[in-house]
Amino acid sequence: MMRTIIFLLLTLHVLTGAAPAADDFNKTVAAIFERRCLSCHNNKDKKGGLSLVTQRDLLAGGENGAVVAPGKPAESLLLDYVTGDKPAMPKTGPPLAVEEVAAIRAWIAAGAKWPGDLVLRDRSLADANWWSLKPLTRPAVPQIRNPKSKIQNPIDAFIVAKLQERGLAQSPAANPRTLIRRLSFDLIGLPPTPAEVEAFLADKDEQAYERLVYRLLASPQYGERWARHWLDVVHFGETHGYDKDKPRPNAWPYRDYVIRALNSDKPYGRFIEEQLAGDVLYPGTVDGIEALGFIAAGPWDFIGHAELPETKIDGKVARHLDRDDMVQNATGTFLSLTVGCAQCHNHKFDPITQREYYQLQAVFAALDRHDKPYDRDPAVAKRRGEMVKQTAGLASERNKLDEEIKSRGGEELRKLDARIAEQTKAASGKERPEFGYHSAIEPKQDVTKWVQVDLGSPQRIARLEYVACHDDFNGIGAGFGFPLRYKIEASNDPEFKTDVRALVDRTTADVANPGVAPQRVESIDVTARYVRITTTKLAPRLPNDFIFALGELSVLSADGRNLAAGAPVTALDSIEAPVRWRRSNLVDSYYFGQASGAASELAKLAKDREVRLARLLDPETKHKRDELAAATAKAEQELKALPPQQLVYAGTAFRGEGNFAGTGGVTRSIHILARGSVTQPGEEVGPGALACLNLPFQITGTKPGPDVSQLVINSASPGASLLPAKDNEGERRAALARWISDPRNPLTWRSIANRVWQYHFGRGLVDTPNDFGRMGALPTHPELLDWLAVELRGGGQSLKKLHKLIVMSQTYRQTSEISDFGFQNSDLGDRDAPNPKSEIQNPQLSDGENRLLWRANRRRLEAEALRDAVLLVAGKLDTTMGGPSFQDFVIERPEHSPHYAYHLFDPDDPRSHRRSIYRFIVRSQPQPFMTTLDCADPSQRVDKRNESLSALQALVTLNNGFMVVMSRHWAERVEKMSANVDEQAAILFGQALARPPTADERRALAAYIGEYGLANGCRVVLNLSEFVFVD
Amino acid sequence: MNMQGTNTSQYSVLSPRYELTRRELLATVGQGFGALALAALLQDDSAAEAAGTGGALAALHHPPRAKRVVQLFMAGAASAIDLFDFKPELVKRHGQPSDFGEPVEAFQNGLGPWLKPIWEFRPHGDSGKLLGEPVAKLGKVVDKLAFVHNVVGKTGVHSQATLLQTTGFQLPGFPGMGSWVSYGLGSLNDNMPTFVVLPDHRGLASNGTKNWDSAFLPAQHSGTVIYPGTPTPIADLFPHQKGDFITSQSEAAAQALMSRLNHEHAAERPGDARLEARIKSYELAAKMQLAAPEALNLADEPEHILKLYGLDHIPSAFDQEINALEETIHFSRKCLVARRLLERGVRFVQIWSGNDNGFPRRNWDSHEDVERDHGPLAAGMARGAAALITDLAQRGLLDETIILWTTEFGRMPSSQGGKGRDHNPYCFTNWLCGGGIRGGVTYGPSDQWGYKPADRDNPTQVYDIHATILHLLGIDHTRLTVRHNGIDRRLTDVHGQVIGELLA
Repeated sequence: MMRTIIFLLLTLHVLTGAAPAADDFNKTVAAIFERRCLSCHNNKDKKGGLSLVTQRDLLAGGENGAVVAPGKPAESLLLDYVTGDKPAMPKTGPPLAVEEVAAIRAWIAAGAKWPGDLVLRDRSLADANWWSLKPLTRPAVPQIRNPKSKIQNPIDAFIVAKLQERGLAQSPAANPRTLIRRLSFDLIGLPPTPAEVEAFLADKDEQAYERLVYRLLASPQYGERWARHWLDVVHFGETHGYDKDKPRPNAWPYRDYVIRALNSDKPYGRFIEEQLAGDVLYPGTVDGIEALGFIAAGPWDFIGHAELPETKIDGKVARHLDRDDMVQNATGTFLSLTVGCAQCHNHKFDPITQREYYQLQAVFAALDRHDKPYDRDPAVAKRRGEMVKQTAGLASERNKLDEEIKSRGGEELRKLDARIAEQTKAASGKERPEFGYHSAIEPKQDVTKWVQVDLGSPQRIARLEYVACHDDFNGIGAGFGFPLRYKIEASNDPEFKTDVRALVDRTTADVANPGVAPQRVESIDVTARYVRITTTKLAPRLPNDFIFALGELSVLSADGRNLAAGAPVTALDSIEAPVRWRRSNLVDSYYFGQASGAASELAKLAKDREVRLARLLDPETKHKRDELAAATAKAEQELKALPPQQLVYAGTAFRGEGNFAGTGGVTRSIHILARGSVTQPGEEVGPGALACLNLPFQITGTKPGPDVSQLVINSASPGASLLPAKDNEGERRAALARWISDPRNPLTWRSIANRVWQYHFGRGLVDTPNDFGRMGALPTHPELLDWLAVELRGGGQSLKKLHKLIVMSQTYRQTSEISDFGFQNSDLGDRDAPNPKSEIQNPQLSDGENRLLWRANRRRLEAEALRDAVLLVAGKLDTTMGGPSFQDFVIERPEHSPHYAYHLFDPDDPRSHRRSIYRFIVRSQPQPFMTTLDCADPSQRVDKRNESLSALQALVTLNNGFMVVMSRHWAERVEKMSANVDEQAAILFGQALARPPTADERRALAAYIGEYGLANGCRVVLNLSEFVFVD
Repeated sequence: MNMQGTNTSQYSVLSPRYELTRRELLATVGQGFGALALAALLQDDSAAEAAGTGGALAALHHPPRAKRVVQLFMAGAASAIDLFDFKPELVKRHGQPSDFGEPVEAFQNGLGPWLKPIWEFRPHGDSGKLLGEPVAKLGKVVDKLAFVHNVVGKTGVHSQATLLQTTGFQLPGFPGMGSWVSYGLGSLNDNMPTFVVLPDHRGLASNGTKNWDSAFLPAQHSGTVIYPGTPTPIADLFPHQKGDFITSQSEAAAQALMSRLNHEHAAERPGDARLEARIKSYELAAKMQLAAPEALNLADEPEHILKLYGLDHIPSAFDQEINALEETIHFSRKCLVARRLLERGVRFVQIWSGNDNGFPRRNWDSHEDVERDHGPLAAGMARGAAALITDLAQRGLLDETIILWTTEFGRMPSSQGGKGRDHNPYCFTNWLCGGGIRGGVTYGPSDQWGYKPADRDNPTQVYDIHATILHLLGIDHTRLTVRHNGIDRRLTDVHGQVIGELLA
């Protein structure tokens, strides 16, 4: 707000051309200096020899002399610095706004007046004096003396106190039918059944409502409902997004974790800790692993990681963006802060430095998004852990022993070991992604293709060796692209028109695919310059796609030289997509499976070594060695025998291959990036959090390792550490998790209390749940928010207790209708209408938006609640919990860029009739029906849903296959209950709207059903406003 | 209404404070409900002539030069140096080892020898602009086009680069340009969607629908996907095939019954404008069911128009190989449909050429063979685009319609070993045409190779193109903002300069 006013003032000056008076200096120019200049031009740093702290400093100028010539803007260096196409100053952040420059110019023109004693200070960083950053303490509950007020619990006291301040009053309670429908949608995301409604109405006990609350909170469907809210905030999706949007088949365990955590009412602090560092803080638990899906929930750029190495600029950008998403997801979700704004410069509005932003990146510096293996059975996990430890112990013992033996073996053994190491590397060497030569793709199989090598001059050829490709495309693997029929010829004519000599002819019958076994042709003895392979029947690649590919061709001389190595290769056509596919791969002396040659050599050497060792070893050492070997073999055997591990798509420090190599747990170096650019790395930073909360960020660790001793905690600056060891990545996350879950962290508890409130009332006490900073909204009821946060923090951190507190309040139970507070309805819109009957103000005039909650908010069903309610009333809801998501699309072309074709899916397929929380969520092609109904976009962190209304929405609720099919199913269900149209009309109302129809409604609907059939009647009811809105 | 003739005094200058108030108001009206939708649905049709109905801007920031936009997007990265930006130096040095005078990072390390333009270039129009042979059809309208040859991107990764051109950000989660225009200006005809997307019928480009997503803007500002000439051009416009129990009689009676029950429901709940708006939305849906098929029906187009677009003879089947005839028919059909949509008040039409970057190539990502893919794609594009421009001009609509031709990046002046070219995010071409655009100009030259801008310190960025288009629509790009997660977001982020040289 202040900024706006300053801006307005500046604008006015500019518009009127009036010079600002000297006393405006403080509001205009001084403010610019303080925000944009003093972080460098202060008395300590004095960059360029210039300080702008006092008038004296200003007039003293800098290294280049005076910066201001009072009264003469044209001669003032200061203006040169901040103007031009690329202003030299300020060094960080955007250039000064035109209005700001104009203000400085006007100030200089007016004599550069500076109140004599005014000392400026650096305000480049916003101060921490902000409501959300203040410590959290329990506020006093207001005393409400008005006997007319209904106070169920302190929530009502806070709400009523504020209403009274404004001369407003509570609305009466909603009727029981409305209440049970509201509460049911709110807590479990489904409407009540007619039987549930009738039972509730019949229960005259005072505790009936409370029992209903208990029942719904205890329902497993509570977790399914509220997990969806959480997944909105963390932007959970099940494909990567971006280009070639691949599915994440193992993302769902995180979704199930969230449901389970909510249903079991996991303490909120632990919920946070598990999602950031469950593997470190709660080792050996399934929750501790599956929760890490949080870190990987957001989008991931497959091409930027898998096709680009970290050394390329675009590869760096992809990884920077990836970490940025992790940082923003963590701080936005748990703290309601917008730290992302500090990526290029200090946060403009909140006390977050650019350094702190990169310290947060350092917390995630070793992580990537990848499938992480784990054991669901804790006993198996425990056993695996033990076995891994045991094998590690055995290995270390063996190493010790081997060192001892080596020292006995001398130079000769050392040489042998060096050779073994070399061959081991060759044998286990990663297969290189240089697949081979690949022809153009043909729609028909009997197309002739050729590829040939030019040996440079006629050469005497003794043998041929050729090997097929290996590519996992379409699951083909070994033998990819190997032709069914082909021949190999030699000639001195590059066109192969004359002088053609056949070396191999396989054109008469289909050949079996050889896999990657080398094919050999011996005893040739032909002299020629060119060798050509011609195919007459191509290899199938897809049902209507045929190709010819070959990994390697060796043309060998009698003395075993490969004449083709590195020779020019030509072909009828070729797909050149290096490094995987290019003609030169055919003669690069590398082929898939080459390593197995090294393996046989290795076996020989190992045998040799054993013989030598036998000579070196005394019986005792030999025995010990044998024993160790046996124990290792046994342990490995046992490890292998354990049940296979499960996978969850999570944030993990993995070791990968190729461009997407991962880190194996060694953290990447994180530098402060000037203007957020990866090409301008500055100082390297270690992990840390935010200083403004004054809480310790400590890497102490539950698992003391060698890394901890190397760590230096910077005690002078809480919330930050100096560079620690590179391999303590888990400890970094644990430190951040503890820093966030710290009971003293005011943001954490305020943030979650506000989110829970929002989902109950449709609006948060703070209307910007992801932003508690200066650009966010202010709380409407700051004391109530703090009271709720303290209750949650102190009440076992139980979200269910918080829910109960909220829904038991009178505030929650109010009617959503605009009550007659003594006004006539006709008065309501009339500003000047006197209030004849009551002292109470008309709330529609003073609080039309109901920010003070003088009534309940009527809410439109979210996409999921609408879809689930339709399934339920149609009698088709499959309530199976958990497991892989259902897919309501057909994937076309999965091999390259999957097309998610929703229109090809049969809406009648019962696999899709589960609750919407179990829907497979695609990023690049979101489900159109749900998207039109404002479901969350998994590419952004959604703190509150849009609630739009449009013609397109009317069209999908009328015409989408799901709605049409469910109308028919509902009709089938109701037909079995009654054949009478009057009764049918009543049943539809009861099931969908939790009430009987009025006589008029019943007549109208029954008449329609009689004329057009029950399915059409069902479709009408599913499109009623009353079905879509909750009072 | 002709905006250019309007007295400028009606465009109130918004003070910052006023904007804030309005934004606060819009954000809060009706319990956080999409207030704009509400406004759109409840607004008197005659109310906001200038900006259309339901736009976030109470008044335009300055008199507009255009009302509508067509964005032609070549997915996969079209090669400027083979089509629009002739480089004699490449002809001279063809086949010589490439030397950029500096280390270059190429996406697939495709830094083979210099590769001359694949096609002959010939001068066209009064401006004498040189065009590559496949786009020669644009020659007739070339004096209406303004070329920008020094556009630079930020990345050579298709997905990020495509998002950057469509949304102004290189990561998902931001509204497309069409969504911003729809949000800011509102609808010219409530019976039609404001923002329509005509994708390549063979599949979506990188990022799928995220390129036209409304993101944090209300859902109705998302691009509505239309597949002209298919059995279901607009999803859910009519009941799903399983709804065989629905007849036109049952539908009419259903509308009447819903209207009655919903009106009663609303009457019992006074003071909630959303309930009235929802009733209106069903009436609009019914109108759209009539208006949309009519807009997509090309049967009433006269022969000379079909000829203009190359749609007068449509074969029943096409070759398996990529070919110019097929590309022309697909692209031209979208152009003709675009013209009909524009005539009926659609504000923003985005036409795509090229599907995902897979094989066989039906996209502009010509790593292997520029001639094979670019030839037919460019010929089809040029025919359709030239026809659209001619057709709009002869109807007097070109003056108020901006056409932007763009792609995610360019292609390298070196070959990728053979007949293909690798990605070049360092320099590529856009062209613009129509309302407020100065025709016949070539702005911002590239260097002698087409590798980078000639003046590297002053390139053109997507922000500048977006700022210019918003400017022509009467919008100051710095003042169309929405607060989201603590930041006042806008199409141009914190960048963007209106390119004065392009303005007529």
